[in-house]
Amino acid sequence: MQLKRYLDLYALLQQDRSSREERRTFGLSEAVRGKDAAEQLRAWTEAHQTSLPRPLLSEQVESVLYHATLLLGIVAFLLGIVTAAGLLNYSGKEPVNLVYFLAVAVLLPLVTMVLALIAMFRANRARNFLVHISPAYWMTRIIGFFDRKGSMKFNTVPLNPLILNWVIIRRSQLLALLFAIGMLLTLLGVVATRDIAFAWSTTLQIDAAQFHAFIEALAFPWRGWLPSAVPSLALVEQSHYFRLGGKLSETMVSHAAMLGAWWKFLAMATFVYAVLLRFGMYMLAGWGLSRAIRRSMPAIDGADVLLRDMNEPLITTHPDEKNLSSNTLQESLYTRTDAKLMPSYDAVVGWAIPEETLVSLCDAFSVTASECREAGGNRTLEEDSHTLETLRGTVLLFVKAWEPPTMDFADFLEAVSKRVSKVIVVPVGTPKEGYAADARHKAVWERKLALLDYPNVWMLR
Amino acid sequence: MNHTDYPRFAVVGHPNKGKSSIVASLAMDDAIAISDTPGTTTRKARYPLKVDGETLYELIDTPGFQRARQVLAWLREHETDASRRHEVVREFVNIHKGDARFHDEIELLEPIMEGAGIIYVVDGSKPYGEEYEAEMEILRWTGQPSMALINRIDEEDYTEDWKRALGGYFQMIRTYDPMHATLSQHLKILESMAQLREEWTPQVKASIALFERYHAMMRERSAAAIAKLLYRALSHVERLALKEGEAVEDAKKRIASRYKQHLRSFEVETQKRIEYIWNHQHLKKQQEQMRLEGLDLFSKESASVFGLTRKELLVTGASSGAVTGAGIDLAFAGHTFFAGGIIGAVVGGVGAYMAFNELADIKVLGRKIGRRTLQMGPMQNRNFPYILLGRILFHTTTVAQLSHAVRHSVNFEMDEHFRERWLTDTRRKKLEKYHKQFRQAKRIDENVLAEYEALVLEILDTLLGEG
Repeated sequence: MQLKRYLDLYALLQQDRSSREERRTFGLSEAVRGKDAAEQLRAWTEAHQTSLPRPLLSEQVESVLYHATLLLGIVAFLLGIVTAAGLLNYSGKEPVNLVYFLAVAVLLPLVTMVLALIAMFRANRARNFLVHISPAYWMTRIIGFFDRKGSMKFNTVPLNPLILNWVIIRRSQLLALLFAIGMLLTLLGVVATRDIAFAWSTTLQIDAAQFHAFIEALAFPWRGWLPSAVPSLALVEQSHYFRLGGKLSETMVSHAAMLGAWWKFLAMATFVYAVLLRFGMYMLAGWGLSRAIRRSMPAIDGADVLLRDMNEPLITTHPDEKNLSSNTLQESLYTRTDAKLMPSYDAVVGWAIPEETLVSLCDAFSVTASECREAGGNRTLEEDSHTLETLRGTVLLFVKAWEPPTMDFADFLEAVSKRVSKVIVVPVGTPKEGYAADARHKAVWERKLALLDYPNVWMLR
Repeated sequence: MNHTDYPRFAVVGHPNKGKSSIVASLAMDDAIAISDTPGTTTRKARYPLKVDGETLYELIDTPGFQRARQVLAWLREHETDASRRHEVVREFVNIHKGDARFHDEIELLEPIMEGAGIIYVVDGSKPYGEEYEAEMEILRWTGQPSMALINRIDEEDYTEDWKRALGGYFQMIRTYDPMHATLSQHLKILESMAQLREEWTPQVKASIALFERYHAMMRERSAAAIAKLLYRALSHVERLALKEGEAVEDAKKRIASRYKQHLRSFEVETQKRIEYIWNHQHLKKQQEQMRLEGLDLFSKESASVFGLTRKELLVTGASSGAVTGAGIDLAFAGHTFFAGGIIGAVVGGVGAYMAFNELADIKVLGRKIGRRTLQMGPMQNRNFPYILLGRILFHTTTVAQLSHAVRHSVNFEMDEHFRERWLTDTRRKKLEKYHKQFRQAKRIDENVLAEYEALVLEILDTLLGEG
């Protein structure tokens, strides 16, 4: 998994406006079905990459990293050349001590590779000393320092410590590899252009046989198929050099041509330990980085929700399009209201109120009337027409406050209002409420009457 | 659209008896227009239950009957044979399709004549009246399977009267309060709907299983959001560059304010996410800014309602410190005579006790290189995670249990005993283990966050009565 995919996913989730429907549709597509989280996210990123603004964040970050790595890589390569040239510097008076060269070409890489392995095991930690001593770490710090204005987008990059550590580890391996290649090429170049006498010298009490055993052990990877690159015991004995006396032994001088034979061993040692193993470490770091990216992708803010949306069944209970069925009625205040009732009326009508209840209502409201009639309810329309014919003068119309006015009522009210001089609508509560209507229910009636707006219809507040 | 593929249910009734509330509750949709003004619903609206685009059943919200007696009079006038009544109703619908007088009746009868089952809604808190007979008779004439739902809008109870009246007209009668219905009550209504017609049973039963899964998904998503909030808030580090000539003390106040503001915004973001998860995007709150009835995240009241007491904090700190100390003892194979555990407990306990009101350390960085920056965080206060967790759990349970039919402002009234419902000693110990890791502001392994999420889900299940 590439860093580019991680950064593109981050950028996509930052600006993502996709609906759950779109995400689930994608989740059901062949591209992602049955795949793991990282693969699903990768597929999502690839499919939606075109919606990202250009230049891509990933391109900007990778460009900065590439140029910084290129610069440091050139420096490392040159440093490898300079180091090797220094170690192979042969004045002609003294042979080149190959122990120095082995220390830099074999020991140093082995030590740094062990440290790199430890750093890999501890890559999950935010504060990783072994990572922080790497030049690649300082490279990112330097980039960050110069990018204070954010033009390179580096400081805004949301890399978690796991990924950042692996980026640094991988780039450190690359720099070390280039350093080793610089050393190897210099060794080959110097050997081809100059006559160098190699010798080994150490203060430690090591005799030629012991040193030969050490050399044999080092040459283990190639001694089977390239024996000419494994120095013999005779060569080791002849190239043992003591500084004491300040001049070369006569035996050494007489075998000067043989001393140059060390170069094959040194070249193979550099190639195997500094180049080949380092290349292996570089590949391992690449694998580790890819794994870290795979692990970190679902942890990007918003990725967990995206994954759930893709993988969980989409259950909707809403209409596809929001229906605009709401009828916004104006909050009208009905102006034709009476505060109290008169003691008598020409007629009292109960809308869907039985006559016996109507009698109780008249008692409760202390009103009398020459006519007491029921309308609506389960009465037929013909029966209502008969009732209408009996009405005249001022009519008191009791209605159940809790039953909202229907158009059936509106039709009746219109007919009554055309026949009589005044209609007073009185919303009443239930017997349990003592017939006192709830203010909420009254308001409903008030709004309806305002909407109907019959000129001789009044309401009891 | 082929109208025979899945069951459909038309929710019908007298105006203003809670039809839309019932639909909002059963469809879990808080966007449906509900009002106490009759005639709010002027057109039928379809609410299909879809799984990955496939409809399992459909609810149809309809306007109320307006001229039921006139419709019934027409039907009776055109009746020829009792066995052909549904054809007379169909004829009425066909003839009056463009007739403005019967607009609402056509809107509600049309889906029924296309095969929808009838869910007839009445208000059980108001007495039965004769005016309902006409509309019930019309529905009987349609010949479609029917169920009556008694919805008690107010306190009074006339349910028994209604049951007697409805018994003659409908196959089954159920009571349902859309404002307070729980998931199990919701599912019971679906069970009843499944029984209305044999062919509908498999699909409606499948939708019951689906609703249970849907509810579980919402709980899981909420737990994930809550876990992320806690991790984000506890590990948050605020940085602030000092202005030219600015006194450190002034800058400290500035960074503390910004730090708190960020934490508040994390909480609000999560609250909105929870509301989205539970389909309550249209939720009106009494206090939009502060939420939770004006109880600020950093207020003393918040700490006293949701946080730990000093004693609990002492125990939590001590047990957490003891665990660390015990690790040292273990490393030395007990040769420390368990001093590590004891010292750890004392240090942890005293530390937690003393830092009761402290939030996080403020450090001045870069003093030597000239570019001074203040840093605040991660959270050091051991009480804060419990306050934040308590608040978000309270919000989540309130939202999760809130009916989708509610349209008035929701007052998140404080329940002082809320903490007792979920914070047991065992849970506190488990939570503290994770809070400690979050407070270290290190990268947390996904598995750790998943474990914490599972713990939050368990708490949520307890609070929602699913555990």
